[in-house]
Amino acid sequence: MSAIVPDDPLLRVPGHELGLVWRSSRHARRLLTLSLAGVLIALLTGRPEFAGVAAPALLLLAAGRAQRRNLAPARIVVRVWLSAGRAFEGEAVALEVRAEGHGDRHIRWTLRPGAEINPGDPTMWAADGAQASFTVVAERWGRRRIGTMGLVVRDRWRLAEGHLSVILPVLDCYPGPTDQRTTVVLRRLPNRVGEHAARTAGMGIEFFGVREYLPGDRQRSINWPASTRRGRLQVNTFATERSQDVVLLADATSDVGEQGSSALDLALRGAAAAARAYLEGRDRVGVITYQWSGVSWLAPSLGRRQLDRIIVSMMTSRPLTSRAGWARGASSGRLPRAALPPGALIVVFSPLLDQRFVESLRNMRERGFTMLVVDVLNAEPPVRRRSSEDRMARQIWQMEKEAIRFSLHELGVPVVHWDGVQSLDLPHAAYVRRPLAVRR
Amino acid sequence: MTRAPGRGTAPPLGPRLLGPGLLGAGCVVWAAAPLSYARYLTFALALAGLGVAAGALRLALAEIAVPEDTYLLTAAMQFWLRFGKIVRLAPWEEGVVVAVLWLEVLHPARPWHTAVLGAALIAYLLATHLAESGTSPGVLRPQVRVLALGAGLLALGAGAGMVAAAGPGFGSALLRLLAAGALVTAAVLVLPYVAPAEVRRRDRPRLTRDAAVRSGERPRETFREG
Repeated sequence: MSAIVPDDPLLRVPGHELGLVWRSSRHARRLLTLSLAGVLIALLTGRPEFAGVAAPALLLLAAGRAQRRNLAPARIVVRVWLSAGRAFEGEAVALEVRAEGHGDRHIRWTLRPGAEINPGDPTMWAADGAQASFTVVAERWGRRRIGTMGLVVRDRWRLAEGHLSVILPVLDCYPGPTDQRTTVVLRRLPNRVGEHAARTAGMGIEFFGVREYLPGDRQRSINWPASTRRGRLQVNTFATERSQDVVLLADATSDVGEQGSSALDLALRGAAAAARAYLEGRDRVGVITYQWSGVSWLAPSLGRRQLDRIIVSMMTSRPLTSRAGWARGASSGRLPRAALPPGALIVVFSPLLDQRFVESLRNMRERGFTMLVVDVLNAEPPVRRRSSEDRMARQIWQMEKEAIRFSLHELGVPVVHWDGVQSLDLPHAAYVRRPLAVRR
Repeated sequence: MTRAPGRGTAPPLGPRLLGPGLLGAGCVVWAAAPLSYARYLTFALALAGLGVAAGALRLALAEIAVPEDTYLLTAAMQFWLRFGKIVRLAPWEEGVVVAVLWLEVLHPARPWHTAVLGAALIAYLLATHLAESGTSPGVLRPQVRVLALGAGLLALGAGAGMVAAAGPGFGSALLRLLAAGALVTAAVLVLPYVAPAEVRRRDRPRLTRDAAVRSGERPRETFREG
């Protein structure tokens, strides 16, 4: 008998009383086949040794039948506990199940995983015992059904089986942020305290320059070597530290490419990684998600909870907080000032396939926003073998892509490509060392 | 009591497949030997061999998870899953039993040979059941006495087959069959006294006080009121 531990999480979840459907087991059917075949052959051929062959199977069946009378439970209680209702892609979640009211009968659990749900190890999907634990891993972002749990209760003689199926809870799977440690910093930062060294002297810790001593300067900031060389007192000055507004722009208008590494997958993973990196740098981060029907947005804010809000906002068009909203029609002109603060850095994750979206980028650039576009397209139109028209069409398509990139570059919008495999630091490297200029 | 999936008392896949595979192959060879040119013998032999091989394959595939939704899977994956479903659902062991008995019928009467085959077939079915349910042979302990009784009947059946008939013809054969049937009926009648009964409520071990408090059940003497 299993001792019930007081801090057992399964005790905190309500149990569901479910009905069992009893039927003969495969073992019983095999014994029945052997006994019937033996008796039939004995009758037809007149050879009594075949009746002897049938005898052990018949005895087992009769004994099992006698034991089972009025003892099989019609209903049992099943408890299901999931360690987390939300997880990132590839993150393991523990699933525990327990059955009560089955007596001393043997129980076997079988997990039938839902779409995009991996049962960890492919052989770790079945377990024995009244209580069992499984590990499930959601492989792709989205609202995922974990699947169903099959339960088989076997009697002591293994001749009858009670079956039932339990629908498992839903797991919200967030896009797994890729690796990004560096951030792009604007040259002109808003007048707000943060962690980026600005191009003005202030009260930070990064050395900015040396100037002549003025009454009121702190004595500890005197630069004695410089004072000795110049013959007058010189003091060190430090760069002021400020934060920036970052708006992530995720293009969800087109989802092309292989499932799991499609343009939309990469856009969401890249945006999640960028949100985490900028939030760790004490920047205010918001998100705008472009879809065919409209734009959903979340105003920039600080803190760890903002990362969760950003990810949820990207996955649903429903406004979650008062600082979020929805605008019909994919146009940046309809966005409120809170969603797109003036002077914000806009990091765009898009395959650049939708002409309306590219026009929106041009529009934003002309309004003076500083932008960095991450091209997440890793697929090309398929070409049939020996089809010159297909090859030509692909070349035209590639030229159009180049034209879009060139037009954005001419407007002062750098476009970098990200394949989804390498770290996001690599495509950002050229813009990390020097502040991104704001040109109007 | 909590067990990790796929672990527990069950042996690993290799040894679990070994028992049913060897016993099945042994049954087929035992029933087919000596090879003769009887009609349909080759067909029955092929059927039995296929059944043993497919049964072992079913046991091996039983360890692989089946996804709930297969609509979005690739064509190759869907073909593989469909193949696995056919392998899992078909009654291969029943086919083996019928084919092996058929092979034995094709030979002239040899009662003790048939009795050994019967014992091997029961062992094959039990080994298959243990392998597919992932349990240890210990779960068969309550059935030992019934199996011993069955072995006795098997021996009696073989003995009855060896007894020279009172005379040739249908009447003597029917007499022997009636005797065998009477034996089986007698065995069924004594079965309730041989097979151990389920543990009754009053025979269940009582909880200790600590265990009863943990499980929320009131120990009878300790909390009696009045």
